[in-house]
Amino acid sequence: MTKNNSNNNVSNEFSTNLSRRKFVKMAGSSLALLSFPMSSVFAFEANNNVRSNPKIVWVMLRGALDSLHTIVPTFDTQLKNLRPKLFTSFKGPLLPLEKGFALHPSLKNLHQWYQEKALLPIVAVTSGYQQRSHFDGQDFLESGKSEIDHDSGWLARASDSKAKRALAVSRSTPISLRSGKQVNTWYPSKLKSADDDIYNQLNKLYQTDAMLRESLESGLAVRGLVETDKTKKNKRQGQFIDLTKACAKLLSNKDERIDCAMLELGGWDTHNNQSNRLEKKFDELDQGLAELKQGLGSEWQNTVVVIGTEFGRTVKENGTGGTDHGTASTLFLAGGAVNGGKVLGEWPGLSTGQLFEQRDLMPTSNSYGWIGNVLAQHWQLSSQELKQVFPKVEVYNEVLIKT
Amino acid sequence: MSENTMSSAVMTQASIAVNRFGYGARGDELALAKSSPKKWIKSQLLPISFITTLAHSNDIFMEHARYQKQKKLLKKNKSLETKMNKMNKNFARTALKEMSIDTLKQAIHSSHSVSWRLLDFFSNHFSVSTNGRLMTGLAATLEREAILPNLLGNFEDMLLAVEQHPAMLIYLNNERSFGPNSRIAKKRNKGLNENLAREILELHTLGVNGGYKQNDVVELAKGITGWSVKNPNKERNAGFIFRPYGHEPGTRTLLGKKYLPKGIAQGQQMLRDLAMQPATAKYLCYKLAHHFVSDNPSPALLAKMETTWLNNQGNITQVMHALFDADEAWIESPQKYKTPRDFIISAQRALALKKSNDKALLNSLINLGQQPFNAGSPAGFSDDEKDWLGASALMARIDWSTMISGYLKRANAEKVMKLALGESVSDLTYQMVMRAESRQQALSLLLMSPEFQRR
Repeated sequence: MTKNNSNNNVSNEFSTNLSRRKFVKMAGSSLALLSFPMSSVFAFEANNNVRSNPKIVWVMLRGALDSLHTIVPTFDTQLKNLRPKLFTSFKGPLLPLEKGFALHPSLKNLHQWYQEKALLPIVAVTSGYQQRSHFDGQDFLESGKSEIDHDSGWLARASDSKAKRALAVSRSTPISLRSGKQVNTWYPSKLKSADDDIYNQLNKLYQTDAMLRESLESGLAVRGLVETDKTKKNKRQGQFIDLTKACAKLLSNKDERIDCAMLELGGWDTHNNQSNRLEKKFDELDQGLAELKQGLGSEWQNTVVVIGTEFGRTVKENGTGGTDHGTASTLFLAGGAVNGGKVLGEWPGLSTGQLFEQRDLMPTSNSYGWIGNVLAQHWQLSSQELKQVFPKVEVYNEVLIKT
Repeated sequence: MSENTMSSAVMTQASIAVNRFGYGARGDELALAKSSPKKWIKSQLLPISFITTLAHSNDIFMEHARYQKQKKLLKKNKSLETKMNKMNKNFARTALKEMSIDTLKQAIHSSHSVSWRLLDFFSNHFSVSTNGRLMTGLAATLEREAILPNLLGNFEDMLLAVEQHPAMLIYLNNERSFGPNSRIAKKRNKGLNENLAREILELHTLGVNGGYKQNDVVELAKGITGWSVKNPNKERNAGFIFRPYGHEPGTRTLLGKKYLPKGIAQGQQMLRDLAMQPATAKYLCYKLAHHFVSDNPSPALLAKMETTWLNNQGNITQVMHALFDADEAWIESPQKYKTPRDFIISAQRALALKKSNDKALLNSLINLGQQPFNAGSPAGFSDDEKDWLGASALMARIDWSTMISGYLKRANAEKVMKLALGESVSDLTYQMVMRAESRQQALSLLLMSPEFQRR
């Protein structure tokens, strides 16, 4: 595929009628849609106001988050037609953002941060991955090379370029942090309760096996009783809020400096019952992140939290109250260091001609372009160093970090 | 969805050879077994061996004796005594741990795992538990010293080795069982202990319905009086010893047959005859078929195995070959839910972990309810699926599967599924594993799938 850096007009063409062929071409090469001359981004290198201890937390949402249920484009009249059930399923008022976008009602803390200008939602992003497999999509997003490399991740390469120390809150090193020179992993040691989602999956898997199904159902009933007991609930380890709490503690430890961390949260593959499931998941995410902020204390001001997912979901709701694998999704930047309070990313529209393959939200920008910008402005990576991190993507010019 | 209507998988012949009879596929075993599954599984029944550097039961005794001696000397100094106590316990515990790990790892890495399953079967058949300081050290030595050397030979040799092994003699209190009319009993007011004799009849040979009477228990108990262990503080070395002065004099009658007074040979002949009793053949063949095939093995299968047993002096290899040769053992539908031990070993074989943490491996068995040498009963762990399929046991398996999948970020669930189960996967399971939201979830679902849980 040929590289196409000089095409500054792509963005207009893109938002109107980008074909699959063009998307493929663009995603495989530079996706330099919103890019302006690079020099302005790197002007920050000379900035005296550089933070002494800038931190990055990378939160990976595994399972493909449905962006249209997260940052709702209330202005887009197509939405109601495409999602008659989902659009009317919110149990509280949507939380307003600019340009007619609104956050899901469960994302209360995130909305609070938006108002404090510490949250940047970015709509219609992609990593450039063009298929719809979770595994490959996640590996692709984590490796950052616009191809899958199981042995090296973007956060590892970024950390190494500035001799940063990284922590994976995980039992083993995820791809994002592989090849890093200073990477540690940490996870609560006791056997934790599995994620709720696995029980739903197993319940389906056991539909032809009555004995296993019966045991699972009574096992869940017992756990259900246990969970209403508050003292016992606290003992459940490995829940997202416990992980963010511990992560904050490790990040703000003065003796053992840690510059970045990675957290993972699964359960976003909402093929059915999406409204209820996402309501719970957003609660978990929102409260977990609030715990992270709380635990970081004054370090919050030096922190950028990057929250991303492998791809988005179909624009139309399916027959089981859910959505299927799609393409563009959303990216959040949060934290005291973020120049927030606005919604970034170009809105591609939802009418049939504007969709990718007539079913998915069309991507209008590349996640790496935004993350690369954060690395440049927050960690002062040079354009040379960024080439190592995201070899095929140009960084967008936008002030994402507070000066 | 269309996948809801799919029926569950049938097992291919290769999968039966590898997953039902062995500990589960490792590497390309399914491919190797494919062209001739029966021939392949029969060729798998090969001699196996342990690491030779670990403690022998004699070492355990010597260490224990040293401890007892020092304990006497230190009786006045309480604080030193507790320190000693701990030291000795650590020795026994370390020995137990090392030996338990050795067995597990050999089973996980073996290229002929069916032999390791057979070893585990007999180790559980002759179950001993860690009860007290001495037994903690001794428990794991029984399968190494008495069972494994006789694993592929005649059952009577294994039976004799087991009943004369210090671990079994101490576990079931025979080391202090003396004939009421023996010189030791008269001199020191000691008597008969029927414990081992009763379990030999009830659990090790004839089975509870094997047709023996209380009098047979007493006669066998008398026949093996004087079968004891050395005390290294009073005698040279350690190990089994026959104490003629503790042996009950006179002729014994067991199951109607008379045994002349011939010292140790009296009890030995009783055991050899017990091994060849039709009731023993019946009981052992049933247990083997129950373990390797199904909770309800077919009468035809049992008949073939029993005939082989009786025609071949209870030769274990021949009996296993009879099982492998019988079509009734190759039923296509999965027959049995794996025990925690089977599940953990088969999962480890399928995942082929490069690094393994010994402590975590043992903890896995503890968490899932099958701590080695801790059945707590001479009957051993249950081999019935209903005893392992409880709700909380299943939840623990799910947690374990999720945990181990969390360590394996690189694992390719599709590849693991192909190697572990081959074609023996239902469409539903295949779809759900492939459509899982993450690699971790895919692997958890695979491990928890009915196809992987059953064999």
